[in-house]
Amino acid sequence: MRAFRRALLALGLAGFAAGAVRLRSGTTVPVQRGGWRELTISDLR
Amino acid sequence: MRVVVVGAGAVGARAGRQLLAMERLEDLVVVDPDVERRDAVVASLGPPARAESGELGAMLEGIDVVLLAAGVPHAPFAEEALRAGASVVSTSDAVADVEALLALDDAARSAGRTVVAGAGFSPGLTCALAAFGARSFEHVDEVHVAKTGTGGPACARQHHRALQGPAREWQSGGWRQRSGGSGRELAWFPDPLRAVDCYRAALADPLLLVPAFPGVRRVTARMGASRRDRLTSAVPMLRKPHPEGGLGAVRVELLGTQGPSGTNRVLGAVDRPSVAAGAVAALAVRWAAEGRFTRTGAGGLASLAEPSPFLATLAERGVKVAVFEGGHQRSEVTSAS
Repeated sequence: MRAFRRALLALGLAGFAAGAVRLRSGTTVPVQRGGWRELTISDLR
Repeated sequence: MRVVVVGAGAVGARAGRQLLAMERLEDLVVVDPDVERRDAVVASLGPPARAESGELGAMLEGIDVVLLAAGVPHAPFAEEALRAGASVVSTSDAVADVEALLALDDAARSAGRTVVAGAGFSPGLTCALAAFGARSFEHVDEVHVAKTGTGGPACARQHHRALQGPAREWQSGGWRQRSGGSGRELAWFPDPLRAVDCYRAALADPLLLVPAFPGVRRVTARMGASRRDRLTSAVPMLRKPHPEGGLGAVRVELLGTQGPSGTNRVLGAVDRPSVAAGAVAALAVRWAAEGRFTRTGAGGLASLAEPSPFLATLAERGVKVAVFEGGHQRSEVTSAS
């Protein structure tokens, strides 16, 4: 039973760590330099 | 032009509507196992659209093109259509299915027909954008595709499956498998979507782009995904997919040489994915029926279509393309959320 509880605890910790790593992210969006220009039909031809 | 549309979902219905707006459409057969949905689509399209049921092989006599817009796999239907002498346009975006469609190249060439694989939003519009952007280079070294957003329920399910990977990337003349959901990059899409975190996924774009750019060193594809998408990618979808997604976008970045120096070019488009996919698929059907592709056989739009007239016709039908200007825009490894 003790081994089972330890296994559960280990699995839980591993899952928590994996989740934290998977979800980890910063919050800063770099500034975009430049911009998008729609291409006209004559641009495409 | 006589066409069979297999699948009356978000893309099939849109493609049917686009086909009706084209000249010389004599017959439009709509097939879908969901009879209620099929009949509703046929009623909404009006003549010459008509509903059919039964085996696909039995309804292919005299048909010019079969548009496959149902759930995957499409390859067995494509084989059947080729045997009946019809060209095929598939909107499939599943890697294994696209591979199987490309494997029909010999059969399609011997039949003198075309199999257009991945004729949707991504792959599809992305392939046409890559081919268009490549005209600015003497040699294309790298192609990087990113997409965000989903169309109908089948597209949402495929999005979910794709994030489980594995992702296939082309690097220095060979394929590499990477884990789905890895390799976060911030991709800048055209307004109003702007910055979205994108990840590796099982996407078919590289399979279609590599043959179109001989000597290309690197081809990658990434997909926009939220934290929840990534966390739940390993389990079945927790809720029923929405009938229709919101705005989506694609972005294609090419790096290559132009004269003595290397440079890049970034092209993109914003639209509802199923609307754009329907327009791309319908135009591919028309080109296949009119024999306007550059060759027979199987391939993606980057290999088969002359990109300028293809994109210009799409623009006339409301699928607008944009180019990024004014700065060296590279994807960045920083979160948007």
